Amino acid sequence: MELLVFTGAAVVKIAVVMITVLLTVAVLTLAERKILSWMQDRMGPMEVGPYGILQPIADGIKLFFKEDIVPSGANRFLFSLAPIISLVPAFIGFAVVPYGPNVEIELFGVTIKPFIITDINIGILYVLAFASIGAYGVILGGWASNNKYSLLGGLRAAAQVISYELNVGLAIIGVIILSGSLSLMTIAEKQAGGLLNWNIIGMGHGEGIWWWVPVTQVIAFVVYVISVIAETNRLPFDLPEADSELVAGWMTEYSGMRFAFFFMAEYANMILVSCIASVLFLGGYHAPYPGTILSGIGAYFEGVAWFTVKVYGFLFLFFWIRATLPRLRYDQLMRFGWKVMLPLALANIVVTSIAVYLLR
Amino acid sequence: MTVTDLVKTCTFYEILVGMKATMTVFIQRIILRTRPPVTFQYPHEKRDLPGGYRGMIALLKYDDGTEKCVGCDLCEAACPSRVITVVSAEVEGEPMKRYAKTYSMDMTRCLFCGLCVDACPVDALAMTKEFAWAKYNKRDLLLDKPQLLALGDRNFPEREKKLEFQHPNVATFNIGHKTLPAKVS
Repeated sequence: MELLVFTGAAVVKIAVVMITVLLTVAVLTLAERKILSWMQDRMGPMEVGPYGILQPIADGIKLFFKEDIVPSGANRFLFSLAPIISLVPAFIGFAVVPYGPNVEIELFGVTIKPFIITDINIGILYVLAFASIGAYGVILGGWASNNKYSLLGGLRAAAQVISYELNVGLAIIGVIILSGSLSLMTIAEKQAGGLLNWNIIGMGHGEGIWWWVPVTQVIAFVVYVISVIAETNRLPFDLPEADSELVAGWMTEYSGMRFAFFFMAEYANMILVSCIASVLFLGGYHAPYPGTILSGIGAYFEGVAWFTVKVYGFLFLFFWIRATLPRLRYDQLMRFGWKVMLPLALANIVVTSIAVYLLR
Repeated sequence: MTVTDLVKTCTFYEILVGMKATMTVFIQRIILRTRPPVTFQYPHEKRDLPGGYRGMIALLKYDDGTEKCVGCDLCEAACPSRVITVVSAEVEGEPMKRYAKTYSMDMTRCLFCGLCVDACPVDALAMTKEFAWAKYNKRDLLLDKPQLLALGDRNFPEREKKLEFQHPNVATFNIGHKTLPAKVS
């Protein structure tokens, strides 16, 4: 009975999160086109439904019924495997993201946390590990296509992901030092108490009269933002699929549902890194004021609402940057990653460690 | 590198200026609604074409319904792409009067230069403002005389008046109506 309740609750939570993420992916495909066009004096999709709001459905139907082409000379097994390797890690990371307060419900003798699928104690490591596996999808897809553009895109993706994943990992170490935990739920809980206690400002870590000293993680935040933009292959770091140089990079030979898988993986990755950013740096489900306005069940909704606002704000930043900046050159990308971002992230670790040592 | 430059580099100043520009447009476009889009929703709203627009070519008629074309072949001679094929013939029983027995245009080759219209001595050819002529079958673009006349009827409802002193039996291809002397009454 306990096993049944536990499994049932997990399945329900997974279903809710999956449906939410897939719906958000659909919304994002439209939102990106609309926001980009608004920033460029255009209108965006206007044909399907009023103001084009049904465009994601039309796109989905189109991709679903498109011919599924495997190029001759391609490695069929890896060619089919690559989209799946891309998509699954992008979705699997949502298992450890806290969407709301850390409450526990007793149901038939089983303790259930309704706002997180599983609160494992190495949550952030788990996310990073699966994000690296997702890069294999890109590299294998580029190699298996038997196409020079795909291969070049895959190679670029490999180099870029290795360079920038390092920076992501180092940028979040400052937050981990402050929180003393790898669990995303604990990291979010430690930032309670309003805007000043979020890790991006970082007050409240000193003892006694030194409570106001900010151990700010704003440099780590900037490094994190730039690195995740590079890691999710978004402009201005979209060298793996540079349209003007490599046709479509590693996606050149993909069509139909396999292309849709890559597409969904890209957007799911964007949502995932936005969730992680809001949990690590922007206080997760905490409001910028101390405590909550509503009480009881309303407080939970308030938390989820603030989390949603932060995630969508971060996603808007992705589109905003894409509308503004042109693509970097490959050597600029590498130099920026290794000579600027990496020393900054390392310096941030050192400074944070010293600050925390002195304050505690 | 001065200190100002260093500070600007470290704070991504130039990038922030660029992001301010895009955000300004966004706010003007969506929140303040002071900035109209440049997009033209083509099939729903159509642009006003200029007067000299060179679209599909049409054959014209006089106001009494007779064809203007006198079968002189000058358009065929003027055409750089060999679009036009004219077979000229005499009107039965009227040896001075000629007409185009067949008049066909291969619009797949036409480059819409308008030289045939310039060449025509009787202004029988005109360029309409029609341009949406995509076809599934290439043969639908081989136009014959009735189709060209229908194009002219469709686009030029006001026909030119046939001059009174123009004898119906006289081929007038070397005197365009613009160069005719004013009618003395």
